[in-house]
Amino acid sequence: MRLWALLRGDVRFQYKYGFYFLYMFLALLYIGMLSVFPDGWRERAAILMIFSDPAAMGLYFMGAIVLLEKSERTLDSIAVSPARTHEYTLSKLFSIGVISVIVGLTIGLVGGAVKITIQFLVGLLLCSCLFSAVGLVIVARSVSLNSFIISTVPVQLLINLPAAAWLFGWQPSWLLLHPGVSMMQLCMPNRPVLPSGVILASWTLAAWVIANRTVAGMFKQIGGVKL
Amino acid sequence: MKPLLASFGVFIRQITRDNMLWAVCFAPLLTALIFRFGVPYVDALLCAYFDRAVLLADYYLLFDLWLCLTPSYMACFASAMVLLAERDENMAAYMAVTPVGKTGYMLSRLILPASLAFFFAMLLTHYSSLTDWDLPVLAAVSLVMSLASTAAALLIFSFSRNKVEGMAMAKIASLLFLGLVAPFFLSSKVQYLAGFLPTFWAAKLAHEKSSLYLFPALVISLLWIGRLSTRFRRKLC
Repeated sequence: MRLWALLRGDVRFQYKYGFYFLYMFLALLYIGMLSVFPDGWRERAAILMIFSDPAAMGLYFMGAIVLLEKSERTLDSIAVSPARTHEYTLSKLFSIGVISVIVGLTIGLVGGAVKITIQFLVGLLLCSCLFSAVGLVIVARSVSLNSFIISTVPVQLLINLPAAAWLFGWQPSWLLLHPGVSMMQLCMPNRPVLPSGVILASWTLAAWVIANRTVAGMFKQIGGVKL
Repeated sequence: MKPLLASFGVFIRQITRDNMLWAVCFAPLLTALIFRFGVPYVDALLCAYFDRAVLLADYYLLFDLWLCLTPSYMACFASAMVLLAERDENMAAYMAVTPVGKTGYMLSRLILPASLAFFFAMLLTHYSSLTDWDLPVLAAVSLVMSLASTAAALLIFSFSRNKVEGMAMAKIASLLFLGLVAPFFLSSKVQYLAGFLPTFWAAKLAHEKSSLYLFPALVISLLWIGRLSTRFRRKLC
């Protein structure tokens, strides 16, 4: 019940600050861009677009979301409320995950470049949750938006570059353990689903556990006093 | 002048404290290194793989334009993030009623960083470009890039009420730079649809090497800045 209330609050927050409008606009832009790509490139381009933007939006926006909650003292209220840390983090992960899935689905369906399957949707949701959890870990230790953005750059490179390299043909077998590559595997047709799903889910779970610990630490330090 | 420099000093201290200053300085240098040495290497590999004589070489100028944009955009993005943080902490309104004033605040947070980035962009492009540039053309393109980046920072600040909306606007503002690719990928008539973007004229200027394009580039840039400055000043109240 508490999780549901937090989730509703987060979705309302994201709607109020234009996330839905922004991604509706970006989805249209991506679909337009996809239409000018040659047929042979369209699927890869669509997967790369979905992976680097809607799936990664948690990492991009989490800093601003949590730092705004800090400056508006929303976190102070949440810290002393009955809400648990894991409910707070799950709410953030799922609310952003919903937008990622809707936008990914729209680009895939309307753009007609990606075959929409259950594994594609599950992979997209897991990947979005992974990015959001990493964003939570970073923002809990950041003092400003600039320091958050700087700290996300190495993470983005670590997750995005091997995945992009995989998509364009550099495919050593050990790279299958990489979360971004697992996401690519789930998005592409005729690839082994189960191992990739398990690997991506494990990374996401690990990131969520670390995010819980870091956010719990952040809650204890709110207000300038270490509780 | 003294309050202006003091305010600029505060800005530099802020971006030094959160390491953004190093990113603003080193990201363009890293981009220059990657473009200067990485792009020709990848081009050679691709040409060999696809058995073609020319592949990326036609777009070397586009890489140079991108490089020329990087210092200004990095500086103005850092400025926009500082502006957003200062507004959330109500610092912006306080600064506006000090001797710095609204104009001084805008100068110290946007115009001074963009001016420094202009010289940085010129030096960087001059020493690490993939194509040959005339100095007047390089100066003109760097100037338009600085103005376009200032417009992007103004757009981020003027159309957002807090950090979250600011980050959303940053995504929209980055579309201002799509004008760079139009002269390279769109046919002669259709490309002018991107004429409302300052970066389109910067790309035309570099592509055609004609000073005629400087006039629309400056007019469009100043129109964007003028319109957004009005909104910026209103936001500071």
